[in-house]
Amino acid sequence: MKVPIKLLVNGEPHQLEVAPNETLVELLRERLHLTGTKEGCGVGDCGTCIVLLEGIPVNSCLVLAVDANGRHVATIEGLGDERKLHPLQESYLEKGAVQCGFCTPGMIMSGKALLDQNPAAGEDEIRRALSGVLCRCGAYKKIVEAVKAAGEKMQGAR
Amino acid sequence: MKTLYVGKSVPRLDGMEKVTGRAVYCVDVELPGMLYAAVLRSPHAHARILGIDTSQAKAAPGVKVVVTGKDVPYTFGEMIKDQPFLAMDRVRYVGEPVAAVAAESELEALEALRKIQVEYEEMPAVFDPREALRDGAPILHPDLAEYVRSSIYDIVPGTNVCMIRRYSLGNVEEGFREADEIFDDEFYIHAVAHTPMETHAAVAQYAPLENAFTVWSSTDGPHRRAKELAGSLGVSLNQVRFISTYSGGGFGGKGSMVAEVLAVALAKFSRGRPVKLVYSREEELTASQTRHAAFLRLKTGMKRDGTFTARQADIIWDKGAYASKGIDVAYRGMLTIVGPYRIPHVDLLSRLAYTNKQCGGAYRGFGTIQVTWACESQMDIIAHKLGIDPLEIRLKNAYVDGDRYINGQVLTTVGLKETLREAGREIGWGKPKPKPDGTKVRGTGIASVIKPTATPTDSYCYIKLSQDGSVVLFSGTPEIGAGQKTVLAQIAADTIGVPLSSIAVPNVDTAVAPFDSGTTSSRATFHMGNAVRLAGEKVRREILTIAAEILNTEPDRLSLSEGIITGDGAGEGKTLVSVLAKKFPRGGTILGEGHYSPEGSPLLAAMPGRERLSSIFWMFATHAIEIEVDTETGIVRVLKVAAAHDVGRAINPVLCEQQIEGSVIMGLSNALFEEFRTAKGRILNATLADYKLATMMDLPEIVPLMIETYHQEGPFGAKGVGEPAAAPTAPAIANAIFDAIGVRIKDLPITPEKILAALHEKR
Repeated sequence: MKVPIKLLVNGEPHQLEVAPNETLVELLRERLHLTGTKEGCGVGDCGTCIVLLEGIPVNSCLVLAVDANGRHVATIEGLGDERKLHPLQESYLEKGAVQCGFCTPGMIMSGKALLDQNPAAGEDEIRRALSGVLCRCGAYKKIVEAVKAAGEKMQGAR
Repeated sequence: MKTLYVGKSVPRLDGMEKVTGRAVYCVDVELPGMLYAAVLRSPHAHARILGIDTSQAKAAPGVKVVVTGKDVPYTFGEMIKDQPFLAMDRVRYVGEPVAAVAAESELEALEALRKIQVEYEEMPAVFDPREALRDGAPILHPDLAEYVRSSIYDIVPGTNVCMIRRYSLGNVEEGFREADEIFDDEFYIHAVAHTPMETHAAVAQYAPLENAFTVWSSTDGPHRRAKELAGSLGVSLNQVRFISTYSGGGFGGKGSMVAEVLAVALAKFSRGRPVKLVYSREEELTASQTRHAAFLRLKTGMKRDGTFTARQADIIWDKGAYASKGIDVAYRGMLTIVGPYRIPHVDLLSRLAYTNKQCGGAYRGFGTIQVTWACESQMDIIAHKLGIDPLEIRLKNAYVDGDRYINGQVLTTVGLKETLREAGREIGWGKPKPKPDGTKVRGTGIASVIKPTATPTDSYCYIKLSQDGSVVLFSGTPEIGAGQKTVLAQIAADTIGVPLSSIAVPNVDTAVAPFDSGTTSSRATFHMGNAVRLAGEKVRREILTIAAEILNTEPDRLSLSEGIITGDGAGEGKTLVSVLAKKFPRGGTILGEGHYSPEGSPLLAAMPGRERLSSIFWMFATHAIEIEVDTETGIVRVLKVAAAHDVGRAINPVLCEQQIEGSVIMGLSNALFEEFRTAKGRILNATLADYKLATMMDLPEIVPLMIETYHQEGPFGAKGVGEPAAAPTAPAIANAIFDAIGVRIKDLPITPEKILAALHEKR
């Protein structure tokens, strides 16, 4: 049995038929080939699959594709590219917050959800907001610095 | 030599791909006609396989291939070929692959696993390596003596000993007689999971006509894996091709074949269709590899003034079911249990014992983490007993330039004392302790590490310069996340004299790139960096020769920087591009190849017969750590880590900081949070909710400090930095706990329960 759904991914409309047990991360990666979103555990523990659903960070492995029906999904691919990076992506590069890069999309999307609400977020808020994403390279220090710097840029741009 | 890029924190070459989500990891590889694999694993720790019935699974919907050990009767293992692709007559740990399925979808492959029937006969199992060494213990590998193995390591046939080595210097009994005090302590360090965020994965494709295999993998040593796989399959190296993807973390865990052999086994029968296998997180935690647990007994003789007279060590390593790289871990680890100190008499024994568990493998630090835990914890015990400051006693015994390592190698560029002083200064060593804040008590601890690099090893590369001035660097060094591409490009740009932006470093393809020993042992910058330097110099010389012909002058009178040729006869400065356009009107290529091996370097000279223990460079580091213990809950919080590292030369300071900061996090996570919970060989906490890693909430203040000692044979003076930083963190924390509350934890991990129990005992 397949269920028809409509959703907006990075502003682009999609109409698909999904299985009732299909997860959002599977839809993004396997159906839409948006492989920037990673799946590190499949049970919501690691945060590498975090995307924004109506601006709220969610573990996309815990969201059923049918529950994304009629909603906006934002992934790393929609954030910016080499012609115009998002301040978070820029700061990530400037501060050296990337190592292996596997947690980077989940971290950046978590950071975006925070800074969209509060670009003046302090270190404690940043840590709390990003603590749902694990980074085994241990890049935490530079990630906090990058998010802080991005927030400053976003405030300046207002 | 003046450098424009070396020594600067240029942004990562792979940064843009990674922040935009475009970097392709192994789990992202998609190929036309691809099948998806799933693996049936042993539910028993030790059992005989009496029969496997795959007929129902073969008929299940979507299923294309089902294989068992009988279909692929190959074994692998870089040091001992003791590991079957899939279990043959017996299983040796819970989680061992027994059968594998490839189907049109992952779900169909998983469904089919339930239709495979396996008949087992359980056998007694052994989980503690000390018990595994006793007479009458269940034997895991009755055919141990028959296996193909590297002959430099000793086994004991008919036992579980897959490696035994002893190393002696001087006369340890005499040393103990000279001692004023003898310290005899036992330590335990636990197994931990590498836990890369990208689990193990592989895609394999077979070309029946050529009998050739292509494997996509995020392994840390594509050439070594290709060599090993070709050896197992009995084919030539041009029939095995490894293509590196980006790696979502390795830390040593991707230093052996794991998913690769299973994908290959299925691909052999899939009629040319590629087969993809991605380990689940549960498989990653239970059936990939771990850091070896170890029991270490350390007996040390000291003079009252704080000098060493002797050290005896007895180390028993928990091997798990298969050798993997454990043999070398146990051997090289043993050799650094002397620490970075002058000890006249040593006697070291290392035994590696098979047990019915997931196998240990290379883990960031390669044995030094285990021995540093014992060595640096005992150093603290010694200091307190003798009434000498822990920093002072280290400074007193620390290796300096000109000292001899235990094989007689003369040590050069030893930045150890600077790391001790810098770390001590940054943490405020010796400052008055703050008053306890209620039940929270602070303490400070220090620990150092010495780490060799595998020697000798080889790195080859070639550099291709096209007629438009663009450069491609083909090296066998994969980007495992540490910034390898960036560092090598920086070295190439400065050596050739071209802009960094003109250099591309593709991911490794063993069909194209020449041999490299991989990104193990913190060797890549030093070894491949040297190969790149040699290749770059050849390219530069050829460019200048061509330019000299065109400009009617001598090459020696010209120089090249940022793609501009200057010097006599060059007028206002000709561009490289214009010179190449003139030389290659129809197109053309300049190739420069480079090979570096330290073999034959005078720096490796040592006592006769002991040269193999020399290291072409030695890494030194010291971590000074401030912690806070809550005596009511037993919870330890790391507040600050001053991490000083002798890096030789920081080719890219930010990348060095990343390695130092990252391994501090890994070290504290290993020491305080991570632990496998097991029952009868089964891992009970196989999720990241139950196997705890440090999160951003655990981040202490980390101050990375780089000491530059300029190694004479390193590229631009560089050594390595990725591995040593994980080792001193755990003992520095334990030493800080002692400083805070006077209890000594000798077995890892340091849990609140152990702290409270020790406090209770003390009262």
